[in-house]
Amino acid sequence: MIYEVRHLTTYTYAKSVPFARCALRLALMADQDQSVIEEAIEIAPTPGRLTRHIGSFGEQVDTALIETPHQEMRVLATARVDVHRAPPLQPLTGEGWESVRDQAFASQTLVIGAPAHMLYPTAMVPIHAAITAYAGQSFSPGRAILEAAFDLARRIRADFKYNPEATDVSTPAIDAFNDRHGVCQDFAHIMISGLRGIGLPAAYVSGFIRTIPPPGKPRLQGADATHAWVSLWCGPATGWVGFDPTNALVVAGDHIVLAVGRDYADIAPISGVILGPGKQTIKVAVDVVPVDESGLHAAAPTRAIPAAA
Amino acid sequence: MRTEADVRLEGWLDGYRPIPGVPDELFPPGGRSPDAWTRLLGALAQFPPHEFEDRFALATRHIRDAGVSHRIYGEDNERLWPLSPLPLILGQGEWAGIAGGIAQRAALMEAVLSDLYGPANLVAEGHLPAAAVTGSQDFIRAMRGVAVAGSRPLHLYAADLGRGPDGRWWVLDDRTQAPSGMGYALETRLVLTRAFPQLYNAMNVERLAPFFSTFRAGLADAAHRSDPRICLLTPGPYSQTYFEQSHLARYLGFLLVEGDDLVVRDGEVFVRTITGLKRADVLWRRADADFIDPLELNGASRLGVPGLMEAVRGGGVVVSNMPGAGLVESRALLAFLPALAQRLLGEPLKLPNVATWWCGQARALGEVSERIDRLAIGRAFVGHGNAALAGGPRLLADLAPGDRALLEQDMRARPIDYVGQEVVRLSTTPAWRDGKLIAAPFTLRVYAVATPDGWRVMPGGFCRISDQPDARAISMRDAQVADVWVLSDTPVERVSLMPRADDVRVRRLTGTLPARAADNLFWLARYLERAEATLRLVRALFIRLVESHAERHETLDRVRDLLVEGGAVDEEFEGSVPAAGLLALCDSEQHGSAVRLIGSARRIAATLRERLSEDFWTLLNGLDVRLTGCAADNATAALDHAQDALDALATLAGLAHENMNRASGWHFFDLGRRIERGINTCRVAKALATDTATPSDLDLLLDLVDSQITYRARYLEGMALAPVRDMVLLDPHNPRALAFQIAAARRHLESLPHLREDGMPERPLQLLRALEGEIESAQAATLPIGRVAAFEDTLLTLGTAVADRYFLQGSNAVRVRKLGGLA
Repeated sequence: MIYEVRHLTTYTYAKSVPFARCALRLALMADQDQSVIEEAIEIAPTPGRLTRHIGSFGEQVDTALIETPHQEMRVLATARVDVHRAPPLQPLTGEGWESVRDQAFASQTLVIGAPAHMLYPTAMVPIHAAITAYAGQSFSPGRAILEAAFDLARRIRADFKYNPEATDVSTPAIDAFNDRHGVCQDFAHIMISGLRGIGLPAAYVSGFIRTIPPPGKPRLQGADATHAWVSLWCGPATGWVGFDPTNALVVAGDHIVLAVGRDYADIAPISGVILGPGKQTIKVAVDVVPVDESGLHAAAPTRAIPAAA
Repeated sequence: MRTEADVRLEGWLDGYRPIPGVPDELFPPGGRSPDAWTRLLGALAQFPPHEFEDRFALATRHIRDAGVSHRIYGEDNERLWPLSPLPLILGQGEWAGIAGGIAQRAALMEAVLSDLYGPANLVAEGHLPAAAVTGSQDFIRAMRGVAVAGSRPLHLYAADLGRGPDGRWWVLDDRTQAPSGMGYALETRLVLTRAFPQLYNAMNVERLAPFFSTFRAGLADAAHRSDPRICLLTPGPYSQTYFEQSHLARYLGFLLVEGDDLVVRDGEVFVRTITGLKRADVLWRRADADFIDPLELNGASRLGVPGLMEAVRGGGVVVSNMPGAGLVESRALLAFLPALAQRLLGEPLKLPNVATWWCGQARALGEVSERIDRLAIGRAFVGHGNAALAGGPRLLADLAPGDRALLEQDMRARPIDYVGQEVVRLSTTPAWRDGKLIAAPFTLRVYAVATPDGWRVMPGGFCRISDQPDARAISMRDAQVADVWVLSDTPVERVSLMPRADDVRVRRLTGTLPARAADNLFWLARYLERAEATLRLVRALFIRLVESHAERHETLDRVRDLLVEGGAVDEEFEGSVPAAGLLALCDSEQHGSAVRLIGSARRIAATLRERLSEDFWTLLNGLDVRLTGCAADNATAALDHAQDALDALATLAGLAHENMNRASGWHFFDLGRRIERGINTCRVAKALATDTATPSDLDLLLDLVDSQITYRARYLEGMALAPVRDMVLLDPHNPRALAFQIAAARRHLESLPHLREDGMPERPLQLLRALEGEIESAQAATLPIGRVAAFEDTLLTLGTAVADRYFLQGSNAVRVRKLGGLA
């Protein structure tokens, strides 16, 4: 399926900002499951200096330096991408999870995408005994890893309430866990913390899902903004498999990957520092529209909401 | 015949009790006491009773006054490292073994780092599991594949050593991130050479200075430019080892900078100075790598420089040690080093490290489980793992049953987070405690620097002595620091950091002043001046109380009002005038009290240690201690305290005046003093030289501005309003008068660098020249007293204008902030 992605972020400041240095991780990941046909990033005001490098987890990072005083910064990323990720294996089986764990411990590579990078806790996703115990209920001895992981994603979907008002970008996973609510970022962090707690390599994925569902299907949570889910290494044969705990799904053709890291902080689409006092507000608008063979697509309204899913 | 010294020495030795089964430096197993120890103790015993301790105490007090400290993070007060009067003594032969082992280990660490940040063959070939690498928070992935400027990942390496039961030295820990303690090694050396100079010189002790000189040369060579600017990047005054950092910066001639002082432009790093941006070539970082760039690394860091990693990747700056060098400090790595030495260097480790098993490997985990009660269990990586191990490895037997069960459960779930280690027993060395010679366990930190000809090891080190008789390394609790004497078999040439005469180009100014340092110097002077103003009020008040006259009561009320206005006494205070005076002296709740102002001055001075003379710091620190402890409850005591403090402030002013180089730093320091004194003079004149002022008011005013004697010599007629106003406000020859302050401040501003290219004066100078013009043309008899308030306002505005023009955080204080929100 080919999608057109339009991702607009607008920062508005109460007072003029003379200096901003930002790192943008807005280029879609290109791998065997998705090909980027074309993409562009526009920044206003135009940066005085723009450099590009490949980040720690293989993502493209554009670093912008803006020294023009401004009260609004707009970053527009557009792309056309062909997603051809295979549908999930049926039935969901795979190796026993303990065997996957032991192979991850013994792995012999540090390349980008190697399981060893995703084994350890981070500042944003520490390991908590309570979350580990929660995850452990899905991982009974010898259970097939895909089945167990999907069970965990399904339980998070069932046990937690989706509530964009309840948490924000800095909410620790343990708070969302204890209160049993949050958004995609919280659910992904909780699932990652639980999986790492039992020794499995789990990654944080940021990306998009299609805005308008296929006919007859419900609209997915998180379609209006950047989305987040979990990628679990399921052994050398199966590799990484995406699980979306917000929607209780195994990731396939409806998900478009932006970047993969250990947690949100590793791959925040836009991070940076500004000089200046005063309040700042942020608006994010995302449209993901499938393009049919003739190149036409259904017109979708652009929505602007102030938070992520 | 037995001398008194013999008796003393015998007494010391008779009371000395080495721990059974543990080797001791003074009584090696099966051997006799090394000659060096016999000589040292013999010489110390020659001193009459207590003299050896007194000499040492005196030298230590010098150090204590100079403020050697070890800050526990988050504490406001600095903890003092107690020093041991006895050095650790190592002979040339033994030292050669240690130095060889350290040089080899440093080379090994460098090879491991080059591999892991490069091709990672060690991992691919199975010598090191990937998960034994990725658990370290100092595995900075952004550095993979980067060719670092200066081309080596390590310039400075350190290791903690202990002597095992068999007498061999063992490596307990490696330090590759930002090894600390070298500054303390210098200080302990300074104390002992000061306390026992003959002894030191007679014993052929290897000098430390050449090592530091090599270190400096190595960093300079790493830069692209000749005569590069080398900065010590400090985490700031709240760092545990800030004193050491500022001491080293001063000793090595490096610029001490915090993250705020630096800015990245076009892939290069610059220092913000009062004359604009100046290139920084080399950053010797004492901040952990994770904190150096909030943009790419830890976003929560307030210590770093946004964009620094980009500059590092592009080779625009040398950061030493390389960000990510801390990777090889992990305990997990200790398990693999013996094999890695064979693989990378083709030889076994010359100094063994503590036998370690990383539990992430099934076989190692099996071995640990079998011997679990004999091994110490530790975190494989700093920062995560079972909470009971946060302070270091523990024996399971030492844990409460509940904690032990929890740890065993955690080890089953995530064995990758843990190591098992042999329990190392430390040897003992003679230490002096409570007038007795005792055997105390110790560890030794040894340093090595990279040179083009290999690693050079510092002949000495940082020796920490435990106050616990338990010799297990895991029970080590630092109690004292001792100097480390490496004895040469031949006389030692005296070397200092002095280079050959023809190597040094003559310069009269020491580079450019960082904006932050200028800011701090300015405020240091302002706080000192403000404290003086408060103290003069307090002194004047108590002098008048002692010789009380009824007609002076109104004047005393005005003193109280001035104390309230200056923030020394609370507005709501309703007690007596003397009570207000006591509060103004030592009530730490009031922001304008003498004790608070001196405390603020001391805190600022602490950030300027590399720019202030030792005498200045010692005096200020002593004053702070005395005022903090002051418990004056009567007029006489208060008067004594105020007088003592004023004497100290006068000495400080004299020291600054006589000793500070007349470079930019001096201009900011004295500018701060002039502005503050001008403001205070306006304040007291406004209150006491009103049109209805009594002779008693005028008398007080002359006291406060220290012009009593001049006045009486000039005006035999007695107190009169216009002459007093002239002397206090308008007389350009009176160094306490407002006019004098204005002229002096104007001269300072004229001496400072200008940024404007159109030849027009900058705002601070504009303000000051206008003020000076008005004061020059004013007449005491006709000057409306209301104008004085306007002068005061102008001076306050001037302070702000100076901050806006020269400092990082002007009145529009803008801080770098994170972009908010979930984008």
